[in-house]
Amino acid sequence: MAEFTAEVYQNEFLPEGGTDVNAIVTLTCSGAGSAGQTGSGDAGEIIIVDTSGSMGRTKLEAAKVAAAAAVDQIIDGTWFAIVAGTHQAYLAFPLVRSGRGMVQMDSNARYAAHQAISQFRSDGGTAMGTWLMLAGRLFDSVPGLAQRHAILLTDGENHNETPEQLTNAIHGVTGKFQCDCRGVGVDWQVAEVRRIAQALLGSVDIIPEPDQMSQVFAELMQQSMSRGIADAQLRVWAPQGAQVLFVRQVSPTVEDLTSRRVEINPLTGGYPTGSWGDESRDYHVSVRLAAKAIGQEQLAARVQFAVGDQVVAQGLVKARWSDDEGLTTRINPEVAHYTGQTELAEAIQEGLAAKAAGDDETATKKLGRAVQLAEQTGNEEATTRLRKVVDIEDSETGTVRLKRAVDKVDEMALDTASTKTTRIRG
Amino acid sequence: MTDHLAQSAAAPPAAIPQSDGSLSCPHCGAEVAAQEAFCEACGGALTPTAAVPAGAPDTMAPPIEITRSIKTEDEDTVVVARPCANCGGVIGADGYCETCGTKAPTERDHYTEHPASWVAACCDRGVRHHRNEDATAVAAEPNLGSRAVLVVCDGVSTSLDSDVASLAAARVARDVLVAHRPAGLGTPASRLAAIAGAIVKAASAANAAVIDNTAHDSENAASCTFAAAVVEADLVVFGNVGDSRVYWLPDHGSGGDATELSVDDSVAQARIEMGTPREEAESGPQAHAITKWLGRDSPDFTPRTGSISVRPPGWVLVCSDGLWNYASEATELQSLVAELSAQSPDPLTLAVALVDWAKGRGGKDNISVALARL
Repeated sequence: MAEFTAEVYQNEFLPEGGTDVNAIVTLTCSGAGSAGQTGSGDAGEIIIVDTSGSMGRTKLEAAKVAAAAAVDQIIDGTWFAIVAGTHQAYLAFPLVRSGRGMVQMDSNARYAAHQAISQFRSDGGTAMGTWLMLAGRLFDSVPGLAQRHAILLTDGENHNETPEQLTNAIHGVTGKFQCDCRGVGVDWQVAEVRRIAQALLGSVDIIPEPDQMSQVFAELMQQSMSRGIADAQLRVWAPQGAQVLFVRQVSPTVEDLTSRRVEINPLTGGYPTGSWGDESRDYHVSVRLAAKAIGQEQLAARVQFAVGDQVVAQGLVKARWSDDEGLTTRINPEVAHYTGQTELAEAIQEGLAAKAAGDDETATKKLGRAVQLAEQTGNEEATTRLRKVVDIEDSETGTVRLKRAVDKVDEMALDTASTKTTRIRG
Repeated sequence: MTDHLAQSAAAPPAAIPQSDGSLSCPHCGAEVAAQEAFCEACGGALTPTAAVPAGAPDTMAPPIEITRSIKTEDEDTVVVARPCANCGGVIGADGYCETCGTKAPTERDHYTEHPASWVAACCDRGVRHHRNEDATAVAAEPNLGSRAVLVVCDGVSTSLDSDVASLAAARVARDVLVAHRPAGLGTPASRLAAIAGAIVKAASAANAAVIDNTAHDSENAASCTFAAAVVEADLVVFGNVGDSRVYWLPDHGSGGDATELSVDDSVAQARIEMGTPREEAESGPQAHAITKWLGRDSPDFTPRTGSISVRPPGWVLVCSDGLWNYASEATELQSLVAELSAQSPDPLTLAVALVDWAKGRGGKDNISVALARL
């Protein structure tokens, strides 16, 4: 039986007239079980592989191996399908023209899927929105799928669709399934693919070399199969008259959830978090209250973890007004840490965007700030990645110079990893 | 706090009978049952028109009065049945209002005692403190002016246990004084000495209770003051440790003088004894530092005792500094009591009014008021 906990880290003391309450809430799930095996409904997996002309022989052969490796990780009984994507989307497996577009995994299906994958040919353009919409229809063709997850692989820009077409496609499938996205090589657009991954509650990353693909795919599928909690929701209650300033996931990656609010009741908003395995995620909740008199205490937020309609864990975010400066000026280390990590992600993304636009001055400033924040928050991984893009003169003050020659892979890796955060150290 | 008073004074509306025989809430229109004191839907107050059916869960019980036999395990229990004092909303199982988030006061934050028509007490968190570390414990025999015991303890440490310790101390002291009834003693002097001796014993028992309620590894040991008065007819015997006080406040025009009976064990008192004017002494640096207290690190917990033969009508008042900070002189308190009890000489009404008055003045500390009407 899965167990859930919610822990709150905050300084609940506010000075006279203080209104803003910040808290980090750690939600933890243990005993999640395996996808589709917990009795709450079946799981479905779709593997979407770019088979456009740009894939060429090397990348396509590697993609075939990777897709097969992912298929091997799918637990028997799980519904699955394989989509081959060009400027159109093809259902590569199962070989059906109507009815259910997915089949349940068993040894025969696995063998047949391998056969289908081996038939992939590299040809045509790229239209990721079309791929996503086909995946959405396939999931919909199987009634009662509790957990829906896809892996999307691409190697290039979305040439055959306008940004609006992609946006519409993303809107059309948001909430229908989760999608982890991977780009192979350096010819794809991080921002474009990140848009898909963020909307579909998935991750985005770069696979620099084709031969790394099969390991990545196997791991992604393993991870998805270990998520026994099909769909969980973060809920934030705030008192009447209060304003929820923002709700962010801050670990393992930074995701602003504020705009994804769906109303549970007038005082409670729900934010989708997708499926869960045995893991912890941290959320930063910020609420603005009407100030109360010194000595008053009130609840600023109830942060709840809901599976289905069931609230399985709750953390209380409090506000206490005090005239003791020793209490009110204390900055909670978790809140400070994640505030810094969020700014770090923004600084990296804005710095790289400025660099791409040829604005070296802004790029130097932003990436310098990123170096400073990475140092302050102890994010050594980010520091290592930043080092490949800038020469650091002084990490304390954030003084850097842009490197003359930067490997495109390093720049993209810095970009895709920008939202990854570290947890606070002891 | 006048809002609060107004709320409790006005009777809530009764449920409205419907044509189909059911009842509806006058606030929101939801269907309610005849025995319900609050609407299930909106939490609005109702006047029940039927008794609670036997065996029904006791969630609609009126506010618990901590008098005599309440077990200490019940402390800090959140009373979930009462609507939010701030907005009338429903209090959640987590102890906060489900609408406005206001923390529901716990039994420990505010309670009253009313053991007899002529004796009452009110103990309150005040405004600025987060916790109520004051405690009162009173007992009385039913007949006006027969026998009463009034005890106030003011937790003075910020350690985790002071609220628990002070309540335990006050109750133990009260129980000692209730049980210790000198009878058949010959002379008035020996009777006085026996009661004074009981107060010393009560302080000693209270001191033991504070230590019992201090965690062994607590670096900041719980401690509290002690003030007690035993009333037997027109005889008042009193004793104190620290700066909680006992006053005799005769009604205006009845002849006697308003008197502060107890003598503080405090820096301010030491200064007064050295000739500093009271007002200056009580507002000076360290004025509130006390020189004697109950607790593990107490150097001396023997109360200074005394007695007085009073001429009723008047009030015996035992209180913590949460009250007397705003009216220290006995004559000031006498006028205040006269003003607040002008409508009715009910001790509970007066105790609550005094607490509300102190809160209105800022409520910087916890407030305890114990009263006997003679």
